[in-house]
Amino acid sequence: MSLFFKGIFLEQKKEPMLTRSTLVMRQEFEYFDCDFPDTAIDELSGEQIIELARLAEIVDESDGKMLWEKLEKANLGEGGTLIVDAIDDEPYISSQMSVGIHQPEKLSLGIELCERVLSPEKTYIAMYRHILDSNFGIPRKIGKYPVKKIGGLYPAESRVHRHLPKGKNSVIIGACAMLHLARAAEESRKMTTCFVTVAGDVVKNPRNVEVPIGTTAEKILELCGLTEEPEAIILGGSMTGRAIFEPENETVGPTTRGIIALARSYGTYSYTCIGCGRCDHACPKALSVCSMRKFAEAGKLDLLQEYDVSMCIGCGACSYVCPSRIDVAATLIKAKKQIELAKKEGTL
Amino acid sequence: MKEKLMFQNAPHVRQSESVVTMMTDVIFALLPIYFMAFFYHGARSLVLGLVGIISCSVLSLLGSFFLREKPVPDLTPIITGLIIPLLLPADIPYYTVVSACAVAIFVVKVPFGGTGSNLFNPAAVGFASVAICWPELVFRYPVTMQAVEVFGKSTVKIAQSPAYSLSLGAVPDYNILDMLLGTAPGPMGATNILVVVACGIFLIVKKAVNWITPVSFLLPYSALCMIFPRISVSPLESLCYELFSGAIIFGAFFMLTEPVTSPKRDFGKLMAGISAAVVVFLFRYYGGFEMGFASALILMNVFSPIFDAICESVLHVIRHKESISDSLKAEMKRKKEEKEKPVVRPVKKVEETEAPGIPEETEVPEEPVEIDLSEEKEEEKEAAQL
Repeated sequence: MSLFFKGIFLEQKKEPMLTRSTLVMRQEFEYFDCDFPDTAIDELSGEQIIELARLAEIVDESDGKMLWEKLEKANLGEGGTLIVDAIDDEPYISSQMSVGIHQPEKLSLGIELCERVLSPEKTYIAMYRHILDSNFGIPRKIGKYPVKKIGGLYPAESRVHRHLPKGKNSVIIGACAMLHLARAAEESRKMTTCFVTVAGDVVKNPRNVEVPIGTTAEKILELCGLTEEPEAIILGGSMTGRAIFEPENETVGPTTRGIIALARSYGTYSYTCIGCGRCDHACPKALSVCSMRKFAEAGKLDLLQEYDVSMCIGCGACSYVCPSRIDVAATLIKAKKQIELAKKEGTL
Repeated sequence: MKEKLMFQNAPHVRQSESVVTMMTDVIFALLPIYFMAFFYHGARSLVLGLVGIISCSVLSLLGSFFLREKPVPDLTPIITGLIIPLLLPADIPYYTVVSACAVAIFVVKVPFGGTGSNLFNPAAVGFASVAICWPELVFRYPVTMQAVEVFGKSTVKIAQSPAYSLSLGAVPDYNILDMLLGTAPGPMGATNILVVVACGIFLIVKKAVNWITPVSFLLPYSALCMIFPRISVSPLESLCYELFSGAIIFGAFFMLTEPVTSPKRDFGKLMAGISAAVVVFLFRYYGGFEMGFASALILMNVFSPIFDAICESVLHVIRHKESISDSLKAEMKRKKEEKEKPVVRPVKKVEETEAPGIPEETEVPEEPVEIDLSEEKEEEKEAAQL
């Protein structure tokens, strides 16, 4: 099946952010009061842990959902798997991986607490293996938990389910959320910070930073320094993030994973499509991207639906490989939204 | 900082390879072939290439002017202009090259919307048009190692190509090594098999072309040539003669791989390559022209969208494999349940035969009766509608 569902090879550029320790921005922490302050961590029950996650207002950075809701709703049943998401398959971004590597005790505690709620049969930490442009070796274990190295081409996150046993339930929780859960249990600390990778070719001191939620992009870039004025600042991942124009007004949220400052934007030039079919081959969902782009530009929503545009995960692999520099992914995502809107309105 | 920031859509990192780098690779791959043509036929071959480049570039600029579009410097006209003279003899008049370029740009490219929209391979159509208009100029070749005059009438000895001998069913006068090195007469760029293959491999290594297309074409074509030889020689000799004559290898690497007119997916390319091999073989086996490749390629271009559609249908099934299997399972389950419904049938009989002969003690379950009634109502409604 991998013959059709390919993806792309990306230079990861995760160094030196991954090996450097996390920089913490000066801040005032917020604490919460709970009904069971004297209970030892080892004695916390599942319900109490969910309550802790609720009081600490922990948001899972991998999907933006509240952790306590996820823990409450998750029903792993027999043979279920708990996956700790530290995959970070986008270039530059390493905020989740660095949590696992530089704060293994806290992460282990967080996982232990989650295990107590979910009681899974298997637990593992997922990390992206193909960081070929650095000598960094991914550890085999973090604490007592094994690290599963997710290989293959980008996007690896969409392939995590292939490693799971069939017919069994699983739940994916971000590594940063686990860390915040451990802090909530140990120090009754609210989740007021997020882990962000600050990188790019004009950043003087590229590294992972822990900043208060709501800090502006400008402040974070000032913290790490710039060597020259960037032409593009990206909030989020390098493959899926968005370019920002007002760094003094744009703030980081709990799901922000990176701020990337690039000296040169890739430019606005674009040639006409030469039909090379590289986008078709790059698509991890085996969609006929080349044809779909033509339909989207012609406004043929019904045909787009037939070609399964709804399966597009917006990974941006098609735009990355396009030799004509066409914004294929952006066109398809827009068309997908149009179809959803048309369905709601009942016109499609 | 704010003034300099520019808008760009995700993803924010892009592959360094672009249309220009791809086309530059192809141009670089064509240059050694021109060098060999210069070695065998003198400076006229280079002038022909220059005429091709200039006429294609000027005509495509004119085309974008007519289409009222901003001209895009994508180098594709240069490649068309370089390929056309390589398919022609070295002593061809310049006006023939200009005509071929004019057809390639003004008939194949511009009317359909310029680069990326052409339905047929421009170089193939350009060549085919001059082959039809001036067959006496196109299908006679100067002998190699004699410089053709740059201007004026050529005084170089004329000879027939091995492809012509093969089309008559005769064994070519040249040995296989001559054909491999390009000393046999033929199209100016297509006879130097070793150089052409080296340039083709360069293109594959640089990923400017997909290896599947030439391989899927050349392997079945070789097999066909060995199984059905046109001349009475050993299968291996037949293979060499057929493969090294008539621009087969040049076409496989430089024309069949044209991205616009070939299928998009590997599977489609495979199908297209195999069918092109069959069609080219049939054209050369039964066709009148000795250079059947260009005509066969034009015919195959028509089928590219069909191959793409076949790939999409197959992938659609693969993508929906789970949902399709689920729906099939649900359907089978439903049918099984219907078969295992023993309650409904006896009740139906009771309903149908509600004649006075039936004993009053018969107990009829409540629920099935309701179901049957509703069914009957529906039937009645349908009957009324009819």
